[in-house]
Amino acid sequence: MRASSVMSGMFAATFGLVVLSGCATGSTAQSQSSGSPSARGGSGQAIKIGIDLPVSGADASTGIPTQNGAVLAIEQANARGLPGGFTLSALTLDDAVQGVHDPAQGAQNVKTFISDPSVVAMIGPFNSNVAKAEIPLTNDAGLAQVSPANTSTGLTKGDDAAKLRTSHPDVNAYFRVSATDDRQGAAGARFARALGFRSAFVIDDDETYGKGLADVFAQQFVSLGGTVLGHEHLTKGQQDFKALLTKARSVRPDMVFYGGTTASGGGLLRRQMGDAGMAATPFVGGDGIADAEFLHSAGTLANGSYFTVAAPEASKLPAARAFLREYEARWKAPVGPYSANAYAVARLEIAAIEKAIVDGGGKPPTRAAVLRNVAATSHFASPIGPIGFDRNGDTTDPILTVYGVKGGRFVFVNQIDLRS
Amino acid sequence: MDVLLQQLINGLSLGGIYALIALGYTMVYGIIELINFAHGDVYTLGAFFSLAILGLLGVSGELHGPPLVGFVLLTIAGAMVLCGITGVLIERLAYRRLRSAPRLAPLITAIGVSFILENLMQLWRGPSPVPFPEVIPNPSLHLGGVEITAKEILVVGLAVLMMIGLQLFVYRTRIGKAMRATAQDRDAAQLMGININTTIAVTFLVGSALAGAAGFVSGVYYGTTWFFLGFGAGLKAFTAAVLGGIGNLTGAMVGGFVIGVIEAFTTQFISDQWSNVVVFSVLVLVLVFRPSGLFGEALPDKV
Repeated sequence: MRASSVMSGMFAATFGLVVLSGCATGSTAQSQSSGSPSARGGSGQAIKIGIDLPVSGADASTGIPTQNGAVLAIEQANARGLPGGFTLSALTLDDAVQGVHDPAQGAQNVKTFISDPSVVAMIGPFNSNVAKAEIPLTNDAGLAQVSPANTSTGLTKGDDAAKLRTSHPDVNAYFRVSATDDRQGAAGARFARALGFRSAFVIDDDETYGKGLADVFAQQFVSLGGTVLGHEHLTKGQQDFKALLTKARSVRPDMVFYGGTTASGGGLLRRQMGDAGMAATPFVGGDGIADAEFLHSAGTLANGSYFTVAAPEASKLPAARAFLREYEARWKAPVGPYSANAYAVARLEIAAIEKAIVDGGGKPPTRAAVLRNVAATSHFASPIGPIGFDRNGDTTDPILTVYGVKGGRFVFVNQIDLRS
Repeated sequence: MDVLLQQLINGLSLGGIYALIALGYTMVYGIIELINFAHGDVYTLGAFFSLAILGLLGVSGELHGPPLVGFVLLTIAGAMVLCGITGVLIERLAYRRLRSAPRLAPLITAIGVSFILENLMQLWRGPSPVPFPEVIPNPSLHLGGVEITAKEILVVGLAVLMMIGLQLFVYRTRIGKAMRATAQDRDAAQLMGININTTIAVTFLVGSALAGAAGFVSGVYYGTTWFFLGFGAGLKAFTAAVLGGIGNLTGAMVGGFVIGVIEAFTTQFISDQWSNVVVFSVLVLVLVFRPSGLFGEALPDKV
């Protein structure tokens, strides 16, 4: 049901773009002839933004609303009209393989973007381990890449980040609008201590994102006076968590912290806490379990879970109301936790593209110009608050939200502004 | 001590599922010396067939009293029959013509069948985990600090019952005798008037039916299922069959329980991440000192 309605939406979007691009090509043949051959795609006036997100399988329940946010911004830009009569289209690729986000597939998708000269910027990916495989490629090609959701600290900071930029160590082509895991983990620990939890059992999925989040949580939780009673890692594809949970129960923690995604085991882990006699123990995680799939696979046990999302709650920001209205009118579905982020990312990339067109006197924008403009983003007004990037490509405006599950639904619990 | 017993129960429940799958691997290997890699996916099909049958019966929640027994038996029987038929079809369509081909050919074919089944199931029910209705009320017995749930009793109980049934079938019936004869020497069995094709088909029928039962049990036990379920479980069950001595029924059963228990104890005493390392190290050690497995007899090389 979900997949088919989204598909029909996608068809409608593609059809609309085809119609628009047809009009534009007819009306502005002049700027096409003056365009530089290197930046021109096969379709003349079309400029593409590559979107790489997991949109099938267990990741689809957050991936699709995220993609929809970006596509909405692109459709709006076309409706408004771009300078020089260009039209934008989204080249959307799926990085999930057999239902789970896959770094190798993500890298393959980015290669597809890079080899298409009409792609001048990209949005994505969703998962940090996928980003790790993609950043060296966009760095090498000088293609501006902005992720709506990546949070792993090592993608932008320190030696880990330097290793991802070996082709052009002095150039950064990767940016993100979400607060990093050191902040998300800190927010989770702060929240857990505020609820009065004194001891935690920490479990992660051993992926870039999950392990990073869990490590920061554990460290912050201890520094805030809590005790970590154990730290375990799941194995890829694991189904049975009862032995692990029996071990966790034997040390009687106040809460279980999970660093990881629903697809890598979060939902099943929470469900099996019921069978292991831990139904009453609160389950706290990061944005990796902020999806409908978690509610689905954890069943009634989803209640009593909390998670942080590295984004402001859209409905709490005045600037977001228009976005929410437009999104729901366009997609006839509620927004996902990263829809507003993706919309904001697409908007700032479109602004960078438009500036490149204007600066170039109506010629097709080059990747280098778009990258320069994206890097210079500051105080860009968006539904998730003003966006700016620091030297590393990280957001300068970090706001996080804590959600809980009550009665099988996500409820807003608290907003944490780490500037305060 | 309580934790130890609890982990033993966890391990036996997990092992019960491995054991049911391992029986199918070992039966097929015993009779035609084929490692049927599609067997793990037949197990997944068992879970999806059970889900479909429960859907047809209109069951979506907990059952009690006579309907519980009736519907559960009906679902298990249905899943077993459907999986059994699938197994027979797989043998007829993919393996029979390759029976005298070089051994690599049916092996690769088995891997191919496994991919076909996985992708068909993905097309049928999608790539996400599918919730399985909680049909069985799950009261738990508290014995000291140890908790045993109804689901755990179901898993272990069903595995042991199926094993006993299988032993009776193989050692007390005519067709069982035909199976043993075919396993020993196919040509001689044929000369004695045994219909080889029927006997091998029955072996696939029974092995796949057991996987069907395991599929139902796993759905109930985990409350969820997905198309890729059989890949990991199949690999572990195959390991169980080899550990116990491939071709040996008791060995497969014991191997399944042993692997489940090793996994649970490794999680408790070392770490969850080490469980596969320990399981496969034990397998290597056993094979080094007893190449034919725990219960296997040293057989002359038939290749």
